[in-house]
Amino acid sequence: MNLEVLAGCLASGACVVTQISSGLIVGMLLFLVASGLSLIFGVLGIVNFAHGAFYMAGAYFALLAYEQTASFTAALAFGALAAGVIGVAFERFIMSRVYGHDVLMQLLVCYAAILIFDDLVKILFGADYKLMGMPDAFATAPIQIAGGFVPSYYIFMLVMALAAGLGLWLGINKTRIGKIIRALAINPQMVGALGINTKLLYAGVFGLGCVLAGLAGALAAPVRSLTPGMGLSVLIESFIVTVIGGMGSIPGALVAALLIGLTRSFGAIGFPLFVDGLMFGLMALVLVVRPSGLLGAKAS
Amino acid sequence: MRRESLRDLFIAAVALAVLLVLPVLFPQPALRDFLVYVIAYGLLAMSLNLLVGLTGLVSFGHAAYFASGAYSFGLLMQSGHFSVPMAMLCALAGTALLALVIGAICVRLKEIYFSFITLAFQMFIHSIILTWVDVTGGDQGLRGGIPRPAFLGIDLSQAGTLYAFCAVVFIVCLLIMRQVWQSPFGYTLRMIRDNPARANFLGVNVLRMKLGIFVLAGTMASMAGILMALFVSGAYAEFAFWTMSGEAIFMIMLGGMQVFLGPVIGAFLLQTLNHYVTIYTEHHGLVLGLVILAIVLGLRRGVADYARDWLAARRTTREAAALEAKPAKKAVS
Amino acid sequence: MLDVQNLNKSFGGVQATRDVSLNFPAGSLTAIIGPNGAGKTTFFNLISGHIRPDSGRILFEGRDLVGLSSLEVVRRGMARAFQVASLFPSLTVREAMTAAVTSHQRRSAGLFSRFPLSGSRDRVQELLELLGLSAKADVLSANLSHGDQKLLDIGLALAMEPKVLLLDEPTAGMGPDERWRMIDKVHRLWQAKQLTMIFIEHDMDIVFKISQTVHVLKYGAVLAQGTPEEIRRNQDVIDAYLGTDHHMALAAEEA
Repeated sequence: MNLEVLAGCLASGACVVTQISSGLIVGMLLFLVASGLSLIFGVLGIVNFAHGAFYMAGAYFALLAYEQTASFTAALAFGALAAGVIGVAFERFIMSRVYGHDVLMQLLVCYAAILIFDDLVKILFGADYKLMGMPDAFATAPIQIAGGFVPSYYIFMLVMALAAGLGLWLGINKTRIGKIIRALAINPQMVGALGINTKLLYAGVFGLGCVLAGLAGALAAPVRSLTPGMGLSVLIESFIVTVIGGMGSIPGALVAALLIGLTRSFGAIGFPLFVDGLMFGLMALVLVVRPSGLLGAKAS
Repeated sequence: MRRESLRDLFIAAVALAVLLVLPVLFPQPALRDFLVYVIAYGLLAMSLNLLVGLTGLVSFGHAAYFASGAYSFGLLMQSGHFSVPMAMLCALAGTALLALVIGAICVRLKEIYFSFITLAFQMFIHSIILTWVDVTGGDQGLRGGIPRPAFLGIDLSQAGTLYAFCAVVFIVCLLIMRQVWQSPFGYTLRMIRDNPARANFLGVNVLRMKLGIFVLAGTMASMAGILMALFVSGAYAEFAFWTMSGEAIFMIMLGGMQVFLGPVIGAFLLQTLNHYVTIYTEHHGLVLGLVILAIVLGLRRGVADYARDWLAARRTTREAAALEAKPAKKAVS
Repeated sequence: MLDVQNLNKSFGGVQATRDVSLNFPAGSLTAIIGPNGAGKTTFFNLISGHIRPDSGRILFEGRDLVGLSSLEVVRRGMARAFQVASLFPSLTVREAMTAAVTSHQRRSAGLFSRFPLSGSRDRVQELLELLGLSAKADVLSANLSHGDQKLLDIGLALAMEPKVLLLDEPTAGMGPDERWRMIDKVHRLWQAKQLTMIFIEHDMDIVFKISQTVHVLKYGAVLAQGTPEEIRRNQDVIDAYLGTDHHMALAAEEA
């Protein structure tokens, strides 16, 4: 433990700004993945163990598009869309066949999907790690805030993630389709009886969740190295986020993701070997004290 | 002693005899190695099935205890202060304690949440193994080999003795687990699997029972890990990786979860599959994933379960006895 | 035996139980009736420890049960059967009954003996005969007929050797003949075991025929209580049922 280092950091404005900014972007990526996970769970009632694979798909397809077009906008759009398309196909052809079956079947199907996706990435992109590099538009001098330096790309990520989260929240709570989706979560038979194609809706919601994961992957591509299997740690962390925030709650996911992001960035200074422990400790605490999560509606 | 218990003991004795005779008849080292893997993974899958098949708790983090057994045993042996049996006992006890702490949190959650939180704790243990390099050797695994000093005239550094030791431990563990399945506790777990709320209304302390089997299953898994560590003379971070738990779940599904020995059949089938897949392709995950999808979406249950259901259906339709052996064989192949 | 005082419970603004005070003497056979949504099952959930009341006391043999879990309530001697039979589908009738008896004997954590325990065999046989399920002892619970499932559900509760037995609509989902056979069994059970029995029932003929006391709930509150004869003539009860259950009014006219 390096508590002196942590205290030293907290005393310096520059260090605090740097840590907060890096904590925020970690949190924002987790928020995007976790809100997709939470959305799928809330509506379809299943936990998508393969969700990390869509984060990975988003990152790799963004890289592919960026290498072809040199446009980061195209990379973001392509990464998110590709993850969504794969997600819809996965839901239609595989996942929907195990709805209503026991957990074991759903788990095995997702396990198989992760194995296949990881190997496909190895075949298509190679087993070595890949770097995308910072897009030209953001290759500018970092912005100085209170003595600390924040890369301009961080600001962009923050805005993008918040916009996506806000859009999702507005879409679900303020639009007609959002109303139908909420009804679908509570009473699918009733929605079906109203002549609405529930299968299409399920696929759409699953796809939307995957788009969010893909967007997170695409946003992460310039600042993270890409490896086959990169989805797993994100999956675990975003699961922890959904447990802490409350399964099915988007605002809960935001709060918890920021909590985890900041815990990670400051924990990395204070207890470098124990960052994961800190995160798990936090989750265990929430589970014992408030099993339904900070903003969760009902006990799981 | 009851007749059923005597029958179980008899079957166990025959199985042990077969396991011990096989390498004498076919002395290739490759067969012996293959059998040790089936024993270690079979034991892991059997212990997991105490949770999955018997209690209805689908743990996705069971390999954590396999790794805990392997690492704690390896470290104790490397310290030089312990004999093999002492180190085994300490490793089992240590893992039981670990399972108690993690289980106390996990059993509060139901269904898919339980799966996820067990996975999360397993990845936590995996990350500890990777970061605590001074003790665990990080991603290189426990280096320097695990010493196997002779005890009670048993010298485990000889390959034949080691194999026989593994076989005996395996059969003893199977007998213990058989007893769990057939005990009042085992039937209480079946109640919890079928209808936990009703079990609670019938005076069953559901959480405590779940925690009990969680610790027991974790301890059994650590025995599998100890055997593996003895055999490969080391312990590796992959032991705690999530794919290990995934494979264990698949072994259960492949073999069958409602028949006691189903997971061992699954372990045998998966080891055979892995053996051939690694010969023909480097894309092991792709092939394994496709096989899993085909079996889960096509067969929807394990080989042994399939055979059992088939037998039950046949018994009710009372078909001619002449057909008896043929379809049972077909189901296993 | 069981004395419920000023029980209240609301779910998100809807008051499901309001100021319910009811007394159940030892050895009594009491019916609880009321239109749909009267809070009958909620009342059972409250006194069996499944949900916790907002206020009030549940005195069982003089001791307050409020705050105890359903597990502890069962161990004190109050067991229940469910409106939809709540069983263990993969166990046979005998296995399920034996497991329940073993649980009652506090031996369900036993690891070193073999199931079934010899000490439970006679008790299980006795219960199976009492319920008339002996012939179906080796049938899987999932494969039983609807009526037998309801019987097994009651049998599981009886395995707890309860002092108070709560039956939530023992005749739900049965045809007229089957109803009478079922209620006849329940009645004989009450006589044989000298239980305090409380049952929820919709069929007024059954209620008036077998119960000693009838409690009527409406919108979560006690509307009336008394002997079947008194309830039959109670104008409030007749009014409450007119429009919701015509049968009640007819039953009252016949008297």
